Amino acid sequence: MKPFDPRLLRAVPAARRPVGVLAATGIASGVTTIATAFALSAVVVAVVEGTDLASPLTWLLGLFVVRAFLAATTERVAAWAGVSVSSALRAALLRRWGTVDADARLEPGAAVSLATAGTAAVEPYAARFLPTLVTAAVVPVLAIATLVVVDWPSALVVALTLPLLPVFAALIGKATAESTERRWAALASLSGHFLDVVRGLPTLVTYGRAHRQAMTVREVSDRHRRATMETLRIAFLSSAALELLATISVAIVAVTVGLRLSHGSMALGAGLVAILLAPEAYWPVRRVGAEYHAAADGAVALDAVLGQLDPTPARAESPSTPAPNAAFGAELTDRTARSRPNAAFGGAAPGSGRVGEVRVAGLTYAYAGSPAPVVRDLDLVAGPGLTVVTGPSGVGKSTLLDLLAGLRRPGAGTVEAPPSHYVTQRPFLSTGSVRQALTIGHPATDDQLWEALRAVGVDGVVAALPGGLSADLGDDGFGLSAGQRQRLALARAWLAPETLLLLDEPTAHLDPEGAEHVAALVAELAERRVVVAVTHRDELLAHADHHLVLAAADATSLEVITEATSPSTSPRTAGEEGDR
Amino acid sequence: MSTASAPDPRVEVVAHPTSVPASPRTAGSRRRRVWWPSAGTVRGGLLGGIATASGMALTATSGWLIVRASQQPVILTLLTAIVMVRAFGMARPVFRYWERLTSHDAALEMLAERRTSAYEALVPLTPARLGRRRRSDVLTGVVDDLTDVVDAQVRVTVPVISTAVAGGIAIALTLVLSRPVGLVMLGLGVAVCLISLLATRLESRSLPELLAARAEVTRVSELMASQSGELRAVGGWATALGWLDEAHSALDRVTRRISAGRAAAASLFLVAVGAAVAATAVIAQDLAVSTPVKALLVLTPVAVSEAITPLVDAMRALARARGSERRIDALLDLAPAVADEPRHAAAEPGHAPDDTSGTRPEHTAYARSGVTTRALTASWMGERTDLGPTDLDVPAGSRIAVTGPNGSGKSTLLAVLARHLDPSGGTYRLGGTDVLRQPLEETRARIAVVDDETHVFATSLRNNLTLARPDADNADVERALRAAGLTTLLEGLPDGLDTTLGSTGRGLSGGERARLGIARAHVSGRPVVLLDEPVAHLDPPTARAVVEDLTRLGRAPGTTGVAGTDAPAQTIIMVTHRDDGADLFDRVLEVRRPPSGTMSPTTADPVPHSGDRTHEADPPRR
Repeated sequence: MKPFDPRLLRAVPAARRPVGVLAATGIASGVTTIATAFALSAVVVAVVEGTDLASPLTWLLGLFVVRAFLAATTERVAAWAGVSVSSALRAALLRRWGTVDADARLEPGAAVSLATAGTAAVEPYAARFLPTLVTAAVVPVLAIATLVVVDWPSALVVALTLPLLPVFAALIGKATAESTERRWAALASLSGHFLDVVRGLPTLVTYGRAHRQAMTVREVSDRHRRATMETLRIAFLSSAALELLATISVAIVAVTVGLRLSHGSMALGAGLVAILLAPEAYWPVRRVGAEYHAAADGAVALDAVLGQLDPTPARAESPSTPAPNAAFGAELTDRTARSRPNAAFGGAAPGSGRVGEVRVAGLTYAYAGSPAPVVRDLDLVAGPGLTVVTGPSGVGKSTLLDLLAGLRRPGAGTVEAPPSHYVTQRPFLSTGSVRQALTIGHPATDDQLWEALRAVGVDGVVAALPGGLSADLGDDGFGLSAGQRQRLALARAWLAPETLLLLDEPTAHLDPEGAEHVAALVAELAERRVVVAVTHRDELLAHADHHLVLAAADATSLEVITEATSPSTSPRTAGEEGDR
Repeated sequence: MSTASAPDPRVEVVAHPTSVPASPRTAGSRRRRVWWPSAGTVRGGLLGGIATASGMALTATSGWLIVRASQQPVILTLLTAIVMVRAFGMARPVFRYWERLTSHDAALEMLAERRTSAYEALVPLTPARLGRRRRSDVLTGVVDDLTDVVDAQVRVTVPVISTAVAGGIAIALTLVLSRPVGLVMLGLGVAVCLISLLATRLESRSLPELLAARAEVTRVSELMASQSGELRAVGGWATALGWLDEAHSALDRVTRRISAGRAAAASLFLVAVGAAVAATAVIAQDLAVSTPVKALLVLTPVAVSEAITPLVDAMRALARARGSERRIDALLDLAPAVADEPRHAAAEPGHAPDDTSGTRPEHTAYARSGVTTRALTASWMGERTDLGPTDLDVPAGSRIAVTGPNGSGKSTLLAVLARHLDPSGGTYRLGGTDVLRQPLEETRARIAVVDDETHVFATSLRNNLTLARPDADNADVERALRAAGLTTLLEGLPDGLDTTLGSTGRGLSGGERARLGIARAHVSGRPVVLLDEPVAHLDPPTARAVVEDLTRLGRAPGTTGVAGTDAPAQTIIMVTHRDDGADLFDRVLEVRRPPSGTMSPTTADPVPHSGDRTHEADPPRR
């Protein structure tokens, strides 16, 4: 583990200020600590010699007030810095994940744990370890520098003995590394045992094994205790050794000072300053050692987060030469598109912007770690109207929509598509109110929301919910069936201003009647936009302007080309667009 | 003992229904304050007190020594003081080491005890009282909270005792040397106590807000990390980033507020020490004692500040541990959701207990696995009816899917069938036996439950399955794995069935975990398998594939019999939110939500689905 990784400041600019403020308060605290040593020795000298006490005492009290202020500031800044740094890291991490290819992200479980527990572990690192580090870097240097001026022999002793601390720590660490590592491994599995058993309690209860495990819990906890104590013994011993070393070093300073004082070759004030300052040089270094282990988790997590933030290409290049046997091909049947020049549509909708079409050329895509591309060399032009994509499952239909939506980046080939609204197979519906769920992408008035709900045929259902648009959709929220949730997602699509609409199985959760209704709605949406829908059901095909069949290349007999019977082939007029 | 982990799940425990009747366990006898020391902690505290006092004595006697030396006496007269300084210097690290060993050992001992008793208390509450979803998060919260509570021994009790002991010694000695200075030290002690109380008060006050703010940050970042694709797809990413910023600034605000307590304590301690030094200096100047003693007296309050500083962290740990203790108590004090004794007078005669987990299943058990309920109702909290009167007829060996909107009671139905939750009314017969008259364990031993978060234990693949039936042999295990669609997994494992899985071993994908849960249920050989949204977190194609394999369980050739024959098989009831693969079941039932507050038998029955759904209700295959 690196004590401090400068990548943090480069990758997360928001972390610069807290770290800077921490360093500043650390330096200020160091300076006042040293000043306090002078004031305190002046007070002691005044008391001992019976001279005027008012002036040194005023200084001392003033310094204590400054130190009190700095102590409060340090506490506040440390807490704030901890939260700021971990929040900044989390935000940077999530922002990055919001731009990368779906395949380049970590697997969901790991991603969630890095974004939550991982970034949270950085907090004690920033709040406790970094201030300690700053103090250790500043205070000993200041103390030695001051000693050089006040009493150079003491400075020499400290300067010679101080480096022994880290050297000693390293030697202890090296001597015990092997056994420590072995113990840590044993410890990790022992300490994980209780969590494992408790998390698995529902399973143990189901299979009648829960009571039997109680004894094991006790027994493993005892073993955990013994193993932990063995590890701790070494840690405590090494920290005691370091403390002893520091004490001996301070004692050497004290002895030389004492001898010179008793010979009358030194003033009492200087001697007091020397013995008050000497310990200040050692304890910050010892504290780094003490906080080191507590911060280790945070440092490891920090490394993992910074690794994710590295701007290196996260996605390996797609396999250039796909294995011929495993390859998939695609065939596009596009009758209407050829007969309807797209340019006509662009001009037909003044004021509503050009309806951009989707152009895909030579598109190839393979999942990370998979040798065979799931989409290979696909060409597609989808103009205004409804393009329906069908094909056996696993052939890459949803992946194609991901690529069109920009959630995945093509391994080869090009995708030209306008910004899209994409209704995924399991559309995101927030746990808040119906209103929040519908307006997550774009704001809309309640009137518009009701209009959209009416269009998809769930206005009655929502009106019947307690609170209507304000009804809670959360886990314990009000009952909506899968089909009703699907329609809510379509209502949101209906509201979306994007000209490209991507739909993944929009009729999956619906009964035949509902599916027919939704199919008609999709056809209506396709009158003013480019709609690409993936489906394995027939309702949508009846409304399709274009039909794309994705099929396995080595199974050509699977290619079934359905006649597109589009009811909406007539060019749309500007008037029809006007209702939006 | 680590201090920081994602603390979010702990809030959910607090949010637990308060209307659930508490168990008699609440009786005050068990209650002990979180900082209450054990014998070992007292020993640790006393040792720590000696270490702290040695540190203070070191500073004070060094001052004496320096001033005495400056008077240029005969070196020999300094020897006693030199020896004392050395002794204090050596004593501090030695006693500190001893204290840390003693107090950590005592804390770990206590942890072992608390873990065992908490585990035992959790068993009867599992799973019904752990919340409806994300139970493993609730359980993780319990484990973390227990650690925090025991941490209080090391982080609160020991430093407080140490400071009290060392402070007491300092006050006593200064009282002997000079009464006025001793009184100043006493005043300092009182001030430290008051400041500590204030700090704890301030810290505790904002702690719930802090946990809530952290929970919100965790919720939003979890959402964004796991559903970034879905969010970006609907243009909601910017909105979600807005949520994140809001959650972060709320956390920032509450962190600033909560740190105010600590900041106040840290600064007030220094102000108090400064005042004590000043008062002592003024008093000492005119005291009729030797000059070296004057120096000693002036330096004593400075030395004491070394003992006071750790109290800032101690007060924080105390507030934290108190919160954890409250959460643990709130959960463990809940009454179990099922009574463990037969509800009616005696068990029905003529029904020998069926096979339990330890014996090989007989096919006759499969034949008596039909599920029948009449007017079954249930409620989680005792106020709202979560399951309206339900009549259910599931013939032995059939496969039923139960669907319905959120909150319709389908999961409640499953909990009642699994005997996780006592019904509030109606009858429930399993294989003709009235299970409400049967001992709980007897009924549960006939049922295997698979939920939406299959836990993979950190042990071998074999042990992960045989925990469902200890006498299962390799052939049984492999058969179950194949039946659940895990052949590829098994073949790919380096050590086959001996491969270690779970947190310390090979990770499994979501689909593999769901299949492992199903394989476990299969290997158990229990006549009834209940599944509660086992594929809820899987992507739709995987979900369907898992369900396809599930519905073939026990029907594929080479397992329980030949497909299409009358060979008995496990009865399978699966609750599912979506209807992936529901068409593969013999029958799909839809549960409708009971109108809130009232129970109306006409609306709440699960009905064989009609035109409402996409597939026809087939007559159950026999």
